[in-house]
Amino acid sequence: MSIPLGLRLQIRSMIHVAAEPIPFFWPMRTFIHHNPLHGLEDLPFEEALQLGARLFHGRTFLPRVTYQRYLSEGKVERETLQVGIAKFLADRDRIGGIELTDWLSTLMTRRGRKAAVDRTLASANQVHAALHDRPLPDGGTQIMDLLRDQLRRELLGDRPLYEAVDALYGTAIGTELDELVIKICLDFFDEGQSVWDMPDREHGLFYAWRDMAKRNVPFFLRGLNISNILGQDERPEGVIAYVLGELGVPEERWIDYLTREMTRLHGWTGFIRWRSSAKNYYWEQRFPGDLVDYVAIRLTLALALLIERGKRQQVWTTELIEQGIETRTAEIYLRHELNGGRVTPALAHSVDMALKRNKPALIARYCDEYVGLKIANEAERQAVALRELAGLADGEASLLALSVEQLAELMDVIADLEAHEGMIWLRSLEVHAVRRFLDGVDRRAPARREKRPFAQALFCIDTRSERIRRHLERVGDYQTFGIAGFFGVPVSFMELGKGSEMHLCPVILTPKNLVPEISAATRYDEAALGVLEKALHELKESVLTPFVTVEAIGLLFGFDMIGKTVAPRGYNRWRRYLHPPKPGGRLLVDKLSREQADSIVRAVQRAVIVNAVEHELGLAQEQITDDLVRELREAALGHQRPDLGCCPQLGLDKDAARQFVERLARVYRISETDAHLQMERLGRIGFTLDEQVNYVGTALRAIGMTEQFSRFVLLVGHGSTSDNNPYESALDCGACGGNHGLVSAKVLAQMANKPEVRRVLRRQGIDIPDDCWFIPAMHNTTSDELTIHNLPLIPPSHLVYMDRLRNGLTSATRLCAAERVPTLEPDPGAVTDPNVATRLAQRNSMDWSQVRPEWGLSRNVYFVIGRRHLTQSASLDGRAFLHSYDYRIDPKRRLLETILTGPLVVGQWINMEHYFSTVDNDCFGSGSKVNQNVAGRFAVMTGNLSDLRTGLPSQTVLKNGMPYHEPLRLITVIEAPFDMANQAIEGVVAIKTLVKNAWIRMLVIDPETDKAWLHSRGEWVEQALPQATAENNAL
Amino acid sequence: MDPQLLLIGFFLPLFPLSIAVNVLLERMPTPWSRALVLLIWPQIGVFLVAEHIGELPDWIKYWGLATAGLYAFRMLAMREVNHWVGFLATSSWALLWTPVYKGLSLAEIEVLALGFGLPLAIMAVLAGEIAKRYGAAYTGLYGGLAVAMPRLTGLLIVSLFAAIATPVFPAFFAVLHTLVISQPLPAVWLVSIWGTWSWGAARLLQGLIVGPAELPYPEDLGIAMTWFLSLLLAGLAVLGLMYTGRLA
Repeated sequence: MSIPLGLRLQIRSMIHVAAEPIPFFWPMRTFIHHNPLHGLEDLPFEEALQLGARLFHGRTFLPRVTYQRYLSEGKVERETLQVGIAKFLADRDRIGGIELTDWLSTLMTRRGRKAAVDRTLASANQVHAALHDRPLPDGGTQIMDLLRDQLRRELLGDRPLYEAVDALYGTAIGTELDELVIKICLDFFDEGQSVWDMPDREHGLFYAWRDMAKRNVPFFLRGLNISNILGQDERPEGVIAYVLGELGVPEERWIDYLTREMTRLHGWTGFIRWRSSAKNYYWEQRFPGDLVDYVAIRLTLALALLIERGKRQQVWTTELIEQGIETRTAEIYLRHELNGGRVTPALAHSVDMALKRNKPALIARYCDEYVGLKIANEAERQAVALRELAGLADGEASLLALSVEQLAELMDVIADLEAHEGMIWLRSLEVHAVRRFLDGVDRRAPARREKRPFAQALFCIDTRSERIRRHLERVGDYQTFGIAGFFGVPVSFMELGKGSEMHLCPVILTPKNLVPEISAATRYDEAALGVLEKALHELKESVLTPFVTVEAIGLLFGFDMIGKTVAPRGYNRWRRYLHPPKPGGRLLVDKLSREQADSIVRAVQRAVIVNAVEHELGLAQEQITDDLVRELREAALGHQRPDLGCCPQLGLDKDAARQFVERLARVYRISETDAHLQMERLGRIGFTLDEQVNYVGTALRAIGMTEQFSRFVLLVGHGSTSDNNPYESALDCGACGGNHGLVSAKVLAQMANKPEVRRVLRRQGIDIPDDCWFIPAMHNTTSDELTIHNLPLIPPSHLVYMDRLRNGLTSATRLCAAERVPTLEPDPGAVTDPNVATRLAQRNSMDWSQVRPEWGLSRNVYFVIGRRHLTQSASLDGRAFLHSYDYRIDPKRRLLETILTGPLVVGQWINMEHYFSTVDNDCFGSGSKVNQNVAGRFAVMTGNLSDLRTGLPSQTVLKNGMPYHEPLRLITVIEAPFDMANQAIEGVVAIKTLVKNAWIRMLVIDPETDKAWLHSRGEWVEQALPQATAENNAL
Repeated sequence: MDPQLLLIGFFLPLFPLSIAVNVLLERMPTPWSRALVLLIWPQIGVFLVAEHIGELPDWIKYWGLATAGLYAFRMLAMREVNHWVGFLATSSWALLWTPVYKGLSLAEIEVLALGFGLPLAIMAVLAGEIAKRYGAAYTGLYGGLAVAMPRLTGLLIVSLFAAIATPVFPAFFAVLHTLVISQPLPAVWLVSIWGTWSWGAARLLQGLIVGPAELPYPEDLGIAMTWFLSLLLAGLAVLGLMYTGRLA
């Protein structure tokens, strides 16, 4: 049986739409920071957070006590809070003699707990009576209707049906279902971690699982009737339609229902969603799987479990639950209270026993008693909370003077404030951060330099560059710039000895040009030690050998463990001696001419033929002459008849020689068709001269570097090094797609050092002097080391200055470590010596037990697009993305729009990832690293079975259980004339949406008018600026 | 049936006579009185056994094992801590029939009974403290006791471990001894009961001590009370090693 094509397509579309609120999750090898609520960015920030909290069951603001701590630390100003409260109360009437502003201010700043009790049954009248210590009035005859309404709201709607059954019967169908689905996903999506593969994965997720599930003995033994459900339709869409029909979910609620179903394991859903969209992803090509497959599996198992449990509980469809609510209200209510964890503890046992006895009269009696007690409890708790608040606000008399209606109104206002107070706190924190920034910036026009600096350095905009740039500028005559870490050149990089491509650019771009790494050294052989290590790991991971391996060679691992733990620096230095260094590679950056490409194809074909003759015919190297290879190649390509004259040389008769030639064409792909394909692929290699000029020119113009070029221009990529850290790539360069930035630096340096490129740029007005040399360098953000690369290419005339350059870089490294490392230590005052700090930083990068090798991008809050002098005299504590930009050379706003489109979007993702990982680390973050395990080689799980953990670990955003990262929206600062900045924002739709929906706070500093404008609540508001600009203000 | 044996069946409980002790425990007005019952009740049973004239029938040890299994199983579904303690008490005291039948000395059986009873008595006191703070000692309604009341939680865990016969408490040696003197089939049954106790304990702890705690935290157990109960448990461990360790 099969459903019509139309319905199939409809179901596919519904799943596509239903999954939109769930963000992509990329494999962690290249960790991509993302906004967990990216799918809701078309909604205003506050609205999206409310929806996100409901969908993902997460918290979207910090607890009030944490905000109160910020208040006591001076990170929030009371006046700003008062303004926020005043705006909240703007449209509300006065309530009796209550000073509402004072009350709400007191509530937010002096009371840790909520003042609005979750009242489900108690009315204002009853709270009023409790407040005045009078007997509570009767709840009225409508109580059962009230209970029914509550139950319908809680149990029906878009909630998965098994959740409702769990809430009623204390079963754990949801948990069990999640565990089963996780196991299936682990089996199917495994990328080489498991020793035994799931069979038939090439058929796709649903079909591979279906074939296995039909033969699954444990399912059969448990009575899960999987085969019957799967027999309803061949295709996953049909199974989905069948299950939703069986569960009684009306079609108009399918999308919402499916969304809730998928958000239960939003990590896996996000990964499958990304994977099915990544058509070039190797594992997706081999083993395809999409969300339709995933949902079909989930729903099949859910229905099977519900039927199995339903036999016992008799409530497993929407209709049966509806019937239960209607006819057995008391029982269903008590069940929901007991198993939903809401029951009043004192009555829990009695309610439990009454339900177990299952006598309607007894249940009705307990329900009456329970409801009465619950009303009294709620009314009393609410009265106590109000009295406490009134006591704090000195308003007991006003409270007691309120009528029932006024009291109801007061409770509504308090509940409403508590629902929205997170935004008031957040705005106040941001206003404070904006003020601090404006107080610290230097708004004077920058003085023109008399002479060029000793060296210039282009760093990534990453917040960690701010510290090292500041120190480098202070130790010598250095000028620094900020630019996206891929230097504006999207590159698909193929590393020496690797067969796969690595995209070195933000994930929102797809590189067209391939840059392979090639080496002049002899063929790269794996060292003997490497082979031994590989063999050991295979023995360790095999099904049969681990026990014997541990017995036989476990001691070797023991030495390794002691070395890594006791003296990681010394031990790692020693281990490096055992590994031969990888041969130095060069990058193929230039486009190949047709002749060059043809020559490469021919060279490859020749090499393949030599290998084939060696391996298949066993001829020695000296027996394989050029003429022989040429003759075989020509024959394989069909250029000459296959009756070869070289048969005696090959030791073959004519038939065997003809077969060998055919084999060369078929197996070794020495054919015209394959040669064409290879030529096409070679066409992707490198950049044309025009492209190179364009990339170099755009990069330099984007940061305002069009004159006064130094002798050295360092292009500093960044990356991190840490051991035993699945999150290592999260610490690497986001602009390089979660990879190290060195290759991008090398590519741009190679382009910029080319005389032809400089010649064209000169014609365009960028005159790079002949003695200017672009040098790629690497900033290790874990150890703060700055390393120069491509040393052999530096002109001899420059070598005399290298010592000075190295000294400057080393000094900056040490000073940066001395500033940064104390923040990682339990006692920040204990490390003050730069040398000690540098050693500790190096140790962090090698210590396999270190769960926090560095803070990464934690505490990020600003994104500054402007000239360096604006922030040069201030210390931004590594909290700002700094993108150099000079509006004076961008009259058409193209450069600004490019910065807004790429780097700012990436910055916003990073900022939001940190925001949500901080406010609810369990839901949006990934919890503690300590109990995480790698799953399938592409993600981590908590324990051995959990949803994929998508956000940042607690060690990155929390310190001693409290937020280290201050969760604020990204305050983006543009230094440009207001109209120009505004038009640029309006011109980039994505940014316009983010600004208008308040996902980022936009601040424009207009240097022409010396005014600043902040986008707030849908409009631009002028900001007060300090009178005089201080020389050096610490932010 | 021997009326004296029937009477002993109340104190070293055998189903359905075991209902009596559970009803009594449920009706005790205070945690301390409940603790007292948990300490004294099996001692009365041991005393009556000593006074019993004549041979004990063979089936009685099997009945004891069956009773122990029944209450261990019931424990799994019980969320109210006092009832849970009552079920564990019934299950563990019923196991004493095997050493009684095998002729272990009166003093040793008394120590074993104390080894089972004392940690349960401490648990009853702690359950009372929890009920004082939350309205009832009931699993799955509020969690995070470990965060909210670390002292009380620590004691609860240790006393629970002592009650479910983990080393080095007397109950461990008692179960081990019973295991050694049992025939293979009853031994397997006994091991499954022992495993069920651990399962029940894990469920109890999971429903009480883990997870986030609701603010504001209730007051933790007083220092003096913590010391007192800790010393009792430490003494019990020493007692276990001195008097029952050799049984294993």
